Amino acid sequence: MKLNGKTTEERIIEKHQEALHHGFHTWPSLVFDRPSALGDARWTSDLILSTWMQAETGKPPDNGLEYRIGRSGGGFDALAFKYLPREQWIPEQEVVDTSIPLNRRPYDRHISIPIPWYGGGMSYGSVGEQIMLSRAKAARQLGTFTSSGEGGYPESLAPYAEHVITQVATGMFGVREETILRAPIIEFKYAQGAKPGLGGHLLGDKSTTAVAKMRESVPWVSLFSPFPFHSVYSVEDHKKHIDWMKTIHPDALLAVKVSTPVDVDMVAMGSYFAGAHIIQIDGGYGGTGAAPEIAKKNIAMPIELAIPKVHRFLLSEGVRDEVVLIAGGGIRTADDIAKAIALGADGCILGTAELVALGCTRCSNCERGRGCPFGLTTTDPQLSQLVDSDWGAERLCRFYTSLQRQLRTILRHLGLRSVLELRGRTDVLSYSRRDGQHGSRATH
Amino acid sequence: MTMSDSIPLVNDVEQAPAAEAAIEEQTLSLNDPPGQLTQQAPHPSPTTYHRYQIETGEVPDIVPLPPKFRVKVKKHRLVGMVLKELITLKGDIPVALSRPCVYGVFSRPVGGLAPREELCVGCLRCTIQYPGVVQIFPNPMRQYLGDSFVKPDYVETILYEARTGRVPVRGAGYRGVFGGEGWDGLWTDMSEIVRPTRDGIHGREFISTVVDIGEKPAFLRFDEQGELAGPLPAVISTQVPFLFDTPLDNDRSTPLVPVFARAARQVETLTMAPIASIITHSLEGPHVVPVIAAETWNLLEQLSWQPHMIVLEGWDREHFDILRQRFPGCIVCVRVPMDTNVLELVQQGVRVFHLTANYHGYVGDRFIMDLILQAHQSLVDAGMREEVTLIGGGGVVLAEHVPKAIICGLDAVTLDVALAVALQAGFHGECVNRKTASFSFPRMDIGWGVKRITNLAVSWRDQLLEILGTMGLREVRRLRGELGRCMFQRDLEREVFGEELK
Repeated sequence: MKLNGKTTEERIIEKHQEALHHGFHTWPSLVFDRPSALGDARWTSDLILSTWMQAETGKPPDNGLEYRIGRSGGGFDALAFKYLPREQWIPEQEVVDTSIPLNRRPYDRHISIPIPWYGGGMSYGSVGEQIMLSRAKAARQLGTFTSSGEGGYPESLAPYAEHVITQVATGMFGVREETILRAPIIEFKYAQGAKPGLGGHLLGDKSTTAVAKMRESVPWVSLFSPFPFHSVYSVEDHKKHIDWMKTIHPDALLAVKVSTPVDVDMVAMGSYFAGAHIIQIDGGYGGTGAAPEIAKKNIAMPIELAIPKVHRFLLSEGVRDEVVLIAGGGIRTADDIAKAIALGADGCILGTAELVALGCTRCSNCERGRGCPFGLTTTDPQLSQLVDSDWGAERLCRFYTSLQRQLRTILRHLGLRSVLELRGRTDVLSYSRRDGQHGSRATH
Repeated sequence: MTMSDSIPLVNDVEQAPAAEAAIEEQTLSLNDPPGQLTQQAPHPSPTTYHRYQIETGEVPDIVPLPPKFRVKVKKHRLVGMVLKELITLKGDIPVALSRPCVYGVFSRPVGGLAPREELCVGCLRCTIQYPGVVQIFPNPMRQYLGDSFVKPDYVETILYEARTGRVPVRGAGYRGVFGGEGWDGLWTDMSEIVRPTRDGIHGREFISTVVDIGEKPAFLRFDEQGELAGPLPAVISTQVPFLFDTPLDNDRSTPLVPVFARAARQVETLTMAPIASIITHSLEGPHVVPVIAAETWNLLEQLSWQPHMIVLEGWDREHFDILRQRFPGCIVCVRVPMDTNVLELVQQGVRVFHLTANYHGYVGDRFIMDLILQAHQSLVDAGMREEVTLIGGGGVVLAEHVPKAIICGLDAVTLDVALAVALQAGFHGECVNRKTASFSFPRMDIGWGVKRITNLAVSWRDQLLEILGTMGLREVRRLRGELGRCMFQRDLEREVFGEELK
């Protein structure tokens, strides 16, 4: 039945959308304190609420919410900056540059982004089209990138093509010549931090008609991306892959996404020799639409430990300044970004943090039934409508703005005028791990 | 060779056919109703290959778990809100009554006035939308599951595995602390570009989880005529690298020993059981491993069948020699604390060890992980590692602990508390060791218990395949002592954050 020109379904969605937006506004004010079932050791309730607040205001909270670290007891949460005395800080009125180049080789296209991060791969199917659009719109507005993930490239993203990285992953889902030709950056996904060595898995419930069409598959059937690329068993094969893409699209930059095994430094070196412009290392604590719990916790190392390993190795091999090292998998805050860069990365990838900015509560039910009840990691026709792409883009822009603001403050307090000066500056960090915390799989 | 291949477990090859025949005839004789016995797995022919595959199915909990979340609705506010919406929306009933939960918590006709807490998954959408009306709380009752080592979320995981036989899969990323103590301070490796990898998990290639338990001479000896003169390897191969340890017998009304025995047969592994229980339940068969201690030594006379493996509780040279003589061809395993100097016992002829820690994985103040590394390394240094089988137990309560223990140097592990949890054991206080631990079990029939344990075993094996697949290993035997395929948090932190960042 239509009322005010809207169907019942539209009116129901409008009601819930409004209530959700109200909730995202109300909870961070702490009027109701913190939701007691919200958060975990990595993403505490404070981090989630402060991200919501930043996505609304564009500024870090000033009401006591801890927006810099979680309580995982190690890694980024145990690292602290050794700030200079106040009198040595760079004044507010002086410009602090947060841009980084994405190609450090002397040849090929030169691209730089004004903030040292871009959006990680989230496939069409694992998230809905509205989320992809929100991310693409925000990337364009801020002059950075988002990644298509593996699963194709909905036509609605075409206007934002200059800011969309096309991912080529092991299942080759949605990989077409025209989408490769559109992309300024092509990303090979060898592995994913949350489930390294396990490939990808889109559950049948999420493979809707539209998703299946994009992936050239059958609707409602689970889709596996095998692991690894069955055409790549060596660095030479890897180079062949990169050459193949360069043949199709000579102007594109090539990014290679790998996980963090024991020999992550060697892997990075191999990618450098194969011709990659960007090496993305994805840590073990990264996000995912669905992964075996055993993989998330136990396989491969957290990103905090992998970055310095890779950075130092590339440095010792004398190639560090020819390749861009991007870290992902567990980056939540501006402090995390700055710490990752101080450990040796050029920049970062954000994935889960973006979803949290859009309202994710980290309930871990992305894979269950109809998917995310907030309309994020779902292709359900009704639930997807809970997120409007303009609203989403606005939130992401504000969140990014807040992160940039904080990053500048950190740089000022360290006496640095450019984020490029921060790279590899472990001397500005101290590490103090809180022992005695026994790990657990899930601490709801 | 596997258990199902019914190998000759004898040194004298001439005895092999007889032994095979004997093994083939052996069936578990449990004190079950006849109907239940028919559920036993068929014993595969010793001469034909069969691919290892165990069927699983949903086996519901007997005791329902308390809901994970409590849903507190302020009913008067809810009624007020709905009435207000009806007015604001001008009587648009479908919209006013539409509910935020997609999991059915408010699906009763009266909606939020009688929420179905058991359906709540903690997405918090309701409370985000209506903070003044509904709030979600973690259910404090869940905190009473397990103890300080077997944490509530471990219990939930094991129960899921035992209920479904599936690998726990969830969305979003890791939620816990950074690394941690004990097993959590170790990460396993993966490889970006190797086979058989994921294909193996989906069955197109095969990853073996078979392990060999027994005595393995370093080389064969021949006499001047070229005939075999020395001992042959005497091993049992189990399909999975985990065995079932002797159950606690503080709850004698629960048929744990028969359950474990039948599940072991089903899964094609071994179960250890006190000799007294074996006699009481008339158990026998290749999957049953009697455990004999000094205080039960006199029961040996009542053991009327030839076990393939027997465990001697504690080191006693005289008893060890008697067992070797009395059961020729039988593997005699010595069960000692994990911090025992195994090399000394190897020099006295022991080749198979069951190294034990308490239920929390400790011997004194040392965690099992370090102790395994120590035992393994001492044998490697002495050049004896390949001749010895190390089985270890205590503190292995999650699927990931199995590959981690094997990486540290065990050939196989024994499961204890995890099996109890799978059978919905209730913990009475801290369950630290066999002497003081107290569990209570629900009333169960043997069939239910067997299926739960089987489900757990299948789930753990599948998770082991995930770990092996990521490394590109085709068999779990190759994982033993593969320290190059793991990362210790303490080492990485020292390397990365060491002197520079202190």
